[in-house]
Amino acid sequence: MECRELTELALGRLLGDLDAGRRDDLERHLAACRTCRDELALLEETWETLGADLDAPVTPEFRARTIELLEDEMLRRRVREFRPRSRVLRVLAQAAAILVAAAAGFFAARGGVEPASKPVAGAPASAGQPAPSLPDLAEKPRLSNVSYKTAHDGLVGIDFEATTKHSITGRPDDPRVSSLLAYLLSANETSGEKSRAIELVSENYGPGAAVASPEIVFALATTLKRDRNPGVRKKAAEALASFRSTGEIRSALLDALANDPNPGVRLVAVDALAAAAREAPDPKTIQSLREKAFDPDENGFVRARAASALKAIDL
Amino acid sequence: MAGGLSDDRSLLDRIRRGDAGGAEELFERYAPSLLKFADRMLGNRESAEEVTQEVFVKVISRAHQYDGRAAVASWLFAIAANACRDKRRRDRRAAVVPLEAVGELPARGEGAEARMAGRERRAAVRRALEGLSEEQREALVLARYHGLPYSEIARVLGISVGAVKTRIFRAVETLKARFSEGEASWNAVN
Repeated sequence: MECRELTELALGRLLGDLDAGRRDDLERHLAACRTCRDELALLEETWETLGADLDAPVTPEFRARTIELLEDEMLRRRVREFRPRSRVLRVLAQAAAILVAAAAGFFAARGGVEPASKPVAGAPASAGQPAPSLPDLAEKPRLSNVSYKTAHDGLVGIDFEATTKHSITGRPDDPRVSSLLAYLLSANETSGEKSRAIELVSENYGPGAAVASPEIVFALATTLKRDRNPGVRKKAAEALASFRSTGEIRSALLDALANDPNPGVRLVAVDALAAAAREAPDPKTIQSLREKAFDPDENGFVRARAASALKAIDL
Repeated sequence: MAGGLSDDRSLLDRIRRGDAGGAEELFERYAPSLLKFADRMLGNRESAEEVTQEVFVKVISRAHQYDGRAAVASWLFAIAANACRDKRRRDRRAAVVPLEAVGELPARGEGAEARMAGRERRAAVRRALEGLSEEQREALVLARYHGLPYSEIARVLGISVGAVKTRIFRAVETLKARFSEGEASWNAVN
């Protein structure tokens, strides 16, 4: 070897990237050349001195921050890759549902299967008596001294005064009861009265109980959108959340998630929408949850809940 | 290189399938190496963290592009090297430390003086590294601090083995000259 090759060979040796033959050449040359020995010492010192520069450690904060970022990114990609069910599949699913319903109706008619709940035409407070009539709610009467009671036999009682004293008792799916409750949800003036009406609705409608009528859903959706008291809006959201999801309920909850100023209400909306989306993912809900999950201006709890909700949805 | 070849590839498979745990494991495995690489390339801790995060985010979006020809670690370092170059272009503050700013290595002392000298010595080494050209520094850092052989560095940087040797050679010559400028102090620190 020649002196000018020293650095190259010495580096190769330092990096363990020098074959045995060249290593022997280097050793022989160094034994005979003092200048190269000095030069090599200088080079090795330079190499060693570079070790004085300490490695940057991965701090717990950086680690936590990055893991969170990566989880978000994975989630974002999952959401981005989400595609709603194709139109053909949707039509097939609807057709299958119709067939199942038709078959069930056919067998019920032939076999005399009892309907799940007997139609109750306004069960009176005492059997054999005509049902007390409701005042004409279209006239928007002012109802006062409203009190509620739920009897053990599943009947709901509502006493109130309009021009005269009224006492309405019936099953929750009794149209008179539904109409009256919907009216009270809309017309009650104080937060306390509204809250009590919503509680009665929550107790008597929903899973394992009666199906809330469209007018009750509408009244709750309106309360959720317009009531000034966040506690009332939250109760309305919770009541809607307890019902089987429909387009109208989803729309009301999406509106609350996007626009309600109270994070507690938005949290209820997130949970309710997520629960519905787990059953049947719909693009608008997924998109809204995604926006919330990544909205830097959103409340931290709402963001976190939206992110968790998305993770739980099978996209 | 941090992880086994098949292990690393299975992590990429998991990432491709949308498993966040795969990304987290890959981070645990390679973040220390990538962070220290970025730190030395950029000379700025904050920028290094930013670039390291960027690398892992890119891995998530590009996991399907990994063709298996290079080791996963080489692929990660290649992404990191590109990200550092982009970062330096974006942010010139972290990029240029003029050679004139590179100080001489301070003398070794006792006690507190020694500790201070140690800090100054580290700072001087850092400045010396920053005084190298980007190309030289990439090759040198991968060789000196990550122990990559020439062939692996060539794969990471997308250049020939000969070019790698030349870059490292020139980097060492520059540093040697730099450290030798104050011969007395150079001898003193050692």
